[in-house]
Amino acid sequence: MKAYSTTHIHNRTIRQQADRWQREGFLQADQVNAIRQAYPVPFRDSNVFAEIGAFVFTGIAVGGAYALIMLLMTGLLDNSVSFGAFNALVSLGLIVLIYNLIRRYNFYRNGPDNVLIVLAASFLLTAVNVVLPNDTALWVRCLLAVPILLAFAAYYGDVIVTFMALLAFYAAIFTALLELSWGRAALPFVLMGVSLGLWLLINRTKNRLPDSIYYADAFSMAEWLSLIVLVAAGNYFVVRELNGLLAEIEPGQPRPTIAPQISLAWLFWILTFLIPGVFAYLGFIRKDRMFVVLGILGFGAAASTVRYYYAWLPLSIHLTLVGTALIGGSVLVIRYLRQPRFGFTDVPDEESPRQFFLNAETLSIMSATGATMNRQPDMKFGGGDLGGGGAGRGY
Amino acid sequence: MSPKEILNQLHQQGLVSGDQHRIMADIEAQRPFSLHWELRSILYVGILLLSSGLGLLIYENYDNLGHLIILGGIGLLCMAAYGYAWYVRPPWTPALTQSQSPFGDYALVLGCLLFLSLEGYAQYEYTIFGTRYGLVTFLPAILFLGLAYRFDHRGVLGMGLTALMAWVGVTVRPLDLYLKTNFFDARVIYSALALSGLVIGAALGLQRQKIKPHFTFTYLLVIGNLLLVALLAGIFNLDNLRLLFAVGLAVACVAFDFYARREQSFLFGLMAAVYGYIGLTYLLYHYLHPNEYVFTFYLLISGGALVVYLLKSERVKERKSVVRHSD
Repeated sequence: MKAYSTTHIHNRTIRQQADRWQREGFLQADQVNAIRQAYPVPFRDSNVFAEIGAFVFTGIAVGGAYALIMLLMTGLLDNSVSFGAFNALVSLGLIVLIYNLIRRYNFYRNGPDNVLIVLAASFLLTAVNVVLPNDTALWVRCLLAVPILLAFAAYYGDVIVTFMALLAFYAAIFTALLELSWGRAALPFVLMGVSLGLWLLINRTKNRLPDSIYYADAFSMAEWLSLIVLVAAGNYFVVRELNGLLAEIEPGQPRPTIAPQISLAWLFWILTFLIPGVFAYLGFIRKDRMFVVLGILGFGAAASTVRYYYAWLPLSIHLTLVGTALIGGSVLVIRYLRQPRFGFTDVPDEESPRQFFLNAETLSIMSATGATMNRQPDMKFGGGDLGGGGAGRGY
Repeated sequence: MSPKEILNQLHQQGLVSGDQHRIMADIEAQRPFSLHWELRSILYVGILLLSSGLGLLIYENYDNLGHLIILGGIGLLCMAAYGYAWYVRPPWTPALTQSQSPFGDYALVLGCLLFLSLEGYAQYEYTIFGTRYGLVTFLPAILFLGLAYRFDHRGVLGMGLTALMAWVGVTVRPLDLYLKTNFFDARVIYSALALSGLVIGAALGLQRQKIKPHFTFTYLLVIGNLLLVALLAGIFNLDNLRLLFAVGLAVACVAFDFYARREQSFLFGLMAAVYGYIGLTYLLYHYLHPNEYVFTFYLLISGGALVVYLLKSERVKERKSVVRHSD
């Protein structure tokens, strides 16, 4: 049972591919028209910015309505059972509303339905949580949230609800382990193992599920998230600092400013580089963009980790050298790939979001400009700081 | 669904002929994997790191000789970057154009960032502009705007606009969602308004003259936000002129909304809706002091109305584009 029509999502994918082939000159306009006739898509077609606005304002409207009803029913919702029942009713009401939006107005992830799905799931979770006894452990609450959120994800194929389900799942593992005496030591290994298992599971399901196109976005997000957790859980910096934060402090003692050394440090140093290395290798072999990008980012994180603990050089010289190396490396590869080699090319893809990258470049360059103009340690300009020079990537 | 599966299905339906199917299947199987944006992103991060590293290096204390070498080296690198960008410069045309080398645009950015560092240092160490602090930001603004037009570079245009905003006392770092200014100072609000009026007017005029019309988006995105923020700041902070600023905000929002529909650039419609909503909600709260019932009811009604409005204006756009297609 699904909220949106799988056939129409399927047709939409075919149309998008046909449009791409037309732009590349492989299909003629009349052929594409015939394809459009054969694969109807009755979904509302809206602009991404209108969708963002509709998402936000739907949230405001629902929040206002919820608060208003609460005000009108003051006194009736004082005990946890009636408050829980009220939230469950609100959730049900929103589900009916989404049903009508989809049925009558052909909504398909146009903003309002996205936020209503998230809110319906959240109100249902609230209902469950207020009814549970007060001393219920946090990990039990998180674990109970997982099937509820997964049910929403299965019905709507929604990305945000799937993300919430994964967060609840990871939070359940995290909080449950911390209740055990050996939990803190096992945490990185459990998180790595679970993430790897999760990724394998998603990857298999994706290829075997008959309607997997319905969940394409949710699967893709889940793959990214599980692999990011995998690389983070093996990273020396993350393990050591998190370990330091979670360590129990003797009462009255201040928390040490430097996180203490961890056991098996050598193993985590190896994993810090090994996991991004495996990602980069898989990206190269399988020509998979997710692994390529995660490999690059993982190496950036690994290099920053080394710099964090072994600052041999002053920051200025370090940044200069790393910057020079990145410029040199990318220039060499760009020149090398002027001819396609090993199935790789430097020619931009038809499908790459060119406009997005141009705007991201403009925004990051503006940040760098603002930071550079603010750097002078002058009274007039305020304190000097590194600012956004690193554009938030690794530094 | 992979392109291959789609192709097979279209072939089975008779929508793609046998020959076409064979050729396209071959092309899809051999389509190389593009690393274009990944490589550009690495290059870009490298430039940002190098320029911030050198920018910090200038201020560190070395002996005289070492310091001169560093300054000279950065100066030479800056000139080399500009020189290379000029060597592979695109031909001058008012339309969209491209550098002759994939690295030209990046060299230009590096040159501009190094110039900023050197210029800031010259003022700090030798006070070359004396107490005319405005020049420190106005000079790079003019330089960058000129370079942006000559080299057709939207990033350098953004740098120029950032410098212009700093000139009137507004520091922005959009990626960090950072905005530093003193909007309690009426003079800053007026300067920001005057600047945004001038710049937006100039941008629309240039668009009309078809001189780099693709720059208008960047102008309106950057300076449009400055304008709307300044108008909101006036509503919040300038008690005597609150209603005048409210009218100004209403006019600006209507204008942005109109522009968004005409150019089918809906980001500006969203900006108008969000800033307008913030202003309206503030005014309602300030003048009517609604009780909680009225206020939650207002949230419900206004939120719902804006959703309908946003999705409806979308419809208008769709109908228009249908008409255009059938022309």
